[in-house]
Amino acid sequence: MPKTYKDLVGDGGSNIVGQVTEQLTRLRARMQGIKGRVAVVSGKGGVGKSAITVNLAAAVAMEGAAVGILDADLNGPSIAKMAGVRGQRLVITAEGVQPARGPVGMRIMSMDLLLPHDDTPVTWQATMQTEAYIWRSSMEATALREFLSDTVWGELDFLFLDLPPGTDRIATLADILPGLTGMILVTIPAEVSHLVVRKSLALARDLRVPVLGLIENMTGYYCQNCRTVGDLFRPGEGPRLARDFGIRFLGEIPFDPRLARACDSGIPFVAVHPQTAVGRVFQTIARDLSVAVYDEADEHPERGRR
Amino acid sequence: MKFLCVNCDEGMKLDTTSGPREGSLEAIFVCPRCRYKIVMLTNPWETQLVQTLGVTIGGRTAHAGPFEQILSSLARPGGEAQEGANAELTSSGCPFAGMFEQAEPAESATGMRWAAAATIRLERIPSFIRPMVQRAIERYAMEQGHHLITDAIMDEARSRLGM
Repeated sequence: MPKTYKDLVGDGGSNIVGQVTEQLTRLRARMQGIKGRVAVVSGKGGVGKSAITVNLAAAVAMEGAAVGILDADLNGPSIAKMAGVRGQRLVITAEGVQPARGPVGMRIMSMDLLLPHDDTPVTWQATMQTEAYIWRSSMEATALREFLSDTVWGELDFLFLDLPPGTDRIATLADILPGLTGMILVTIPAEVSHLVVRKSLALARDLRVPVLGLIENMTGYYCQNCRTVGDLFRPGEGPRLARDFGIRFLGEIPFDPRLARACDSGIPFVAVHPQTAVGRVFQTIARDLSVAVYDEADEHPERGRR
Repeated sequence: MKFLCVNCDEGMKLDTTSGPREGSLEAIFVCPRCRYKIVMLTNPWETQLVQTLGVTIGGRTAHAGPFEQILSSLARPGGEAQEGANAELTSSGCPFAGMFEQAEPAESATGMRWAAAATIRLERIPSFIRPMVQRAIERYAMEQGHHLITDAIMDEARSRLGM
């Protein structure tokens, strides 16, 4: 009886398994210095996830933590703009690529830092551009792995990963980064958003990715004149969704037009308006998140060692 | 993927690789016993898939450089896809060299002048956020056609930028 695939030792000389193992080893070595690896996800687009990532990261950094942000939205990167680091040049050292330095000492890496013009899209060179869907998702996963493993993050208390919309992104990240501490779900108080977030929560449960909590954005409109918050959507739905899934409700963020303007100007709103209603919410969430991450690390210390 | 010599029932060993040429990689395998050779030719999608995984058919002789796959695969700005193009990080021919020179903080690179009163106000901004605020105000002033930042322009910028 002829030999089967399993009978043949090795792959004849390419050592593909060895090459993939080496990639994983590099990634693990880089992640060793990072205590909390937190993905910010939504499932649904347009809920303000990137703005929340930047401000939450800044709020955590203002507490004295060493913080990094990886913009994992390769095709629609916005973190570099929101953190005011566009145009910074990256430096290559023997250790890897030094990230851009943002406000409050945040270390930032984004595909945006590799694109020369505002209107340059992310496209990949290929021998065949037709039917590129066959390999594009693999290329994006490889790029994400390189951003994680080749950036000189140094010792960090938190690395925030701003994921693009889509529930499938959770699965991709869980595959690439097995030591993920957990994820934060962002929603808005609209049924269409909750519908998709429920799918993300269910998928996270299936993949055994810890959910650190739910944030509801645009829960109301903050009037600067009256200093009160009026309803935009039906209130109270976020806490109920969190209860349904048995996860922590981290907080509600009212809509404040100054937050949007701050994002455009590249300055985290929370850093310049820490005493506003929205600024205080970010700081409260940052403290609760720190507790949630350290609780998670306490309960599952093996995750941090992966 | 592995290859078995049907005559000898032996696993074949990789002999040489070349390409990609016209989207196809060529890998020659040889039977260690009878020396029978075969050549594996990949189609363009297979070639591309292997490249996107960041692995090398035939094995690696050196460790991968930082962002190797990103920089060798990201299309050249405004350019066309080029087969086999491989951006070396340290090479002067790197299409991304502009993004990889020495890090230069962008603040004060605009040549914008600050009036004394505005400078005093700038100094009062907490140090950790000052460079960002300075940059935003300078950018705003430039967009508005100003060359000197005064108290009034600072007020205007703060109100327009939500600071």
